[in-house]
Amino acid sequence: MALISIDREHGLLTVEFQGLDKLWTLKSRLEIPLAHVRGATHDPGMAREPKGIRVGGTHFPGVITAGRFRRDGERLFWDVKNPDKAVVVELADAETYDRLVIEVDDPRATVALIERSVARG
Amino acid sequence: MGRPRTFDTDRAVESAAALFATHGYEGTSVDDLVTATGIHRGSLYKVFGSKRGLHLTALRNHLDHEIHPTTAVIAGLTDPEQALTTAIASYDNGPAAGLLLLAAAERAPHDREVAALVAEGVTALEDALRPSHGDAAPRLASTVLGARLRLRAGLPTASKEH
Repeated sequence: MALISIDREHGLLTVEFQGLDKLWTLKSRLEIPLAHVRGATHDPGMAREPKGIRVGGTHFPGVITAGRFRRDGERLFWDVKNPDKAVVVELADAETYDRLVIEVDDPRATVALIERSVARG
Repeated sequence: MGRPRTFDTDRAVESAAALFATHGYEGTSVDDLVTATGIHRGSLYKVFGSKRGLHLTALRNHLDHEIHPTTAVIAGLTDPEQALTTAIASYDNGPAAGLLLLAAAERAPHDREVAALVAEGVTALEDALRPSHGDAAPRLASTVLGARLRLRAGLPTASKEH
């Protein structure tokens, strides 16, 4: 589980990993410039996708997917135990990751918060 | 980054629009969109950013390729009865029939960008009815929207009863 929030003052999307998820993901937080955030979607089906190769973190299939993964040349960051609450955050090419897949407490509210902050070209 | 885009974006948007028009925005999952469009999940996110991004693209497409061409035809009709009948039969129709109506009911109250696109579609209808109905055009536009809603629900429209 992680807490996703928007820091309007600094123009950042922040992801703070809660409790042991810091250990599983090997990260305590991620900061992404809002200009590099392309959208967010509540997507429980994402967890059934092949994960690819684990680069760093933890993967017990069916239990937890956490940390950095590579698949088809794309770099994904996962922190999901319960797929029902998974939110996919799509990032711009300039970012370290192509996509974040993060479990949050309230997917509907998180998606609305991010989508409101995204400028579409 | 990622695999090259090997699919037809326009075709994908059309498939998605038909799905949104049938099941609504919330009723359409990313799984449904992946299955219907045949696009890999990663490519879908790469191109549209999010499910909402795809929905907004589908709405924009529906306005440009369905709503505006239809209202252009209605605007060319000067006979009031013919204009109204044509509007009821053809407004917000096509392969994604009802996409605008559903977006108005489901998404517009919570989403300003959807609300703006819905307003654009309704304004186009009002403007199209002005040559035939003058100042009554906004009221007649509401009649058209109501009739489209009745058609969708399988109820007869008033104009068909007599």
